[in-house]
Amino acid sequence: MQSSSFLLAGAVSKLSSFFSVSYLFMFLPVSILLYFIAPKKLKKYVLLTESMLFFWLISGKLIVYLLFAVLIMHYCGIWLNSLQDEQRRALSDLPREERKPRKKRFERKQNAVVSFSVILLIGTLLVLKYSSFFSTNINTLFDALKLDLRIPVPSYIMPVGISFFSLQALSYIIDVRRGVVKADRNPVRLALFLSFFPQIVEGPIIRYSQTAMQLWNADRLSLRNLKLGMQRIMFGMIKKMIIADRLNPFVTNIFDNYTKFEGGMVAIGAIAYTIQLYMDFSGSMDVVIGTAQIFGISLPENFRQPFFSKSISEFWTRWHITLGTWFKDYIFLSITGSAKMKKLTSSARKKIGNHYGPLLAGSAALFCVWLANGLWHGAAWNYIFFGLYHFALILSGSLIKPLSRKFFQAIKIDPKHTAYQIFQMLRTGLLVVIGELFFRANGFRNGWRMFCRMISDFHFGAVDGTLIRKLGLDMYDCIIIAVTLLIVFAVSILHERGISVRATVEKKNVAVRWGFCYAMMAYIIMFGAYGIGYAAVDPLYAQF
Amino acid sequence: MERLYEILEDIQPDVDYATCDKLIDAHILDSLALLSLVSELEEEYDITIPTIEINQNNFNSAKKIMDLILRLKEDY
Repeated sequence: MQSSSFLLAGAVSKLSSFFSVSYLFMFLPVSILLYFIAPKKLKKYVLLTESMLFFWLISGKLIVYLLFAVLIMHYCGIWLNSLQDEQRRALSDLPREERKPRKKRFERKQNAVVSFSVILLIGTLLVLKYSSFFSTNINTLFDALKLDLRIPVPSYIMPVGISFFSLQALSYIIDVRRGVVKADRNPVRLALFLSFFPQIVEGPIIRYSQTAMQLWNADRLSLRNLKLGMQRIMFGMIKKMIIADRLNPFVTNIFDNYTKFEGGMVAIGAIAYTIQLYMDFSGSMDVVIGTAQIFGISLPENFRQPFFSKSISEFWTRWHITLGTWFKDYIFLSITGSAKMKKLTSSARKKIGNHYGPLLAGSAALFCVWLANGLWHGAAWNYIFFGLYHFALILSGSLIKPLSRKFFQAIKIDPKHTAYQIFQMLRTGLLVVIGELFFRANGFRNGWRMFCRMISDFHFGAVDGTLIRKLGLDMYDCIIIAVTLLIVFAVSILHERGISVRATVEKKNVAVRWGFCYAMMAYIIMFGAYGIGYAAVDPLYAQF
Repeated sequence: MERLYEILEDIQPDVDYATCDKLIDAHILDSLALLSLVSELEEEYDITIPTIEINQNNFNSAKKIMDLILRLKEDY
């Protein structure tokens, strides 16, 4: 895996982790205190100052990229708005039959503004994140063709969160273009929306329409929000510090030295990494959403019990939800909504039916979505494979859907039967683990070798307590991880049934409420993977 | 409205379109069904449905779909 890019740039690099002492015991409490004592009118400016300070502390002078994105949002938004006003004025004076061609002309102008902002925002991201990858591959191609040509391989330091805030900025511009929101003439409000410190490192990817006014109308702190936010933060710390960080040395050992292990151990490593990633990322999201709740801001959820999914397409509606909806709203719909694709859908539907007709245009759009998803995660072939692997799974799922429906009717299996649904969840889990193996592997080639080893050499002959201890997990670690996983699993079942643990506890008497808080705190202090013998692990998604 | 019910029924049968108001939220119309529906509506009603209009607010019920059609016809 690449090293966390923002650590290279940070003035106070330790602050970059939401689980560091400097963040949890200094930056966050001081931010809450300053927000608390500030007069209501100034609270939004306090939030903005804290957010900019946070970004500067972790990215230093690279803050210019964030300010650049704010400027693009501001000016392109206003530009689009003035074009839309001009269009309204011009069309209202025209007879109905002349409106259509005139409207098209205005739409072309607006699309040009959106393209301009895409070039600036995504172009910056491409240069910083991908130029090294592309130039290395071009040089490899020159070598393969035996051409005596080389292009320089640039190396740039990326500001933290650029993959997240670039998408946020672009979503605002496209939403203005689509008429979902009106252009905001206040650059300070846009800056607060783009830089809100809890979510700038790992998301969730927020939309202007959901969050900007919440932030701008920043209200007084409430004791209820403070309590609920702290509880959510502690639950995130349990996931990250007790499960994910404890699994880290074990996972690293297997992925770095997979040639020494048999296939069974590689499979255990892939499962352990999938658990680590989920606990790390969803735990970080708990901290982010909990922190925002303290300030009275409601952020969108990024996870919804993904391992209860019965198919890969359902999995992606429950895992990294805000990224999935971003790709759906701004790539999938843009492609399938184009005139050519609509024509293709219409004619294909007449020829090959209701299901396969739209699938033709849909699959072209899906391909772009998953290629973008893979590339968004990183500039490496294993990430591209990761995206296309999910594209292939989702497409094949859609292709066989009518056949599988007929098959189940023929053999009289009820797809809603609990046993079958559990089978579907396990099957989806297995496919996810295979995808994550490639995602975590040190390059595509190593991922492929690990996968082959897992298939061709699948046994557990050499797996015993001594080996697992050598890899970084003793019996104590295993028991703590297992018990904590059971707790998280139980909470997930309750959430799946629509029961909120925090809301339930809130209704209990004072002894139960405080007991709940102290129990969580004690659990983290006793069993968290920190201090001597543990290396702090940066949040895994911060590097993307 | 009857013609709209027929189109919807043709794309996704066995749904009570007169009462259902969660066509998108309840995943009754998935992405593929939406693609078919949009192209079918454009042909049937001679309208262009911009991408911006393909959202749950406009497609969650037959009534909302009809409102969209009427609004788009009015626009042109």
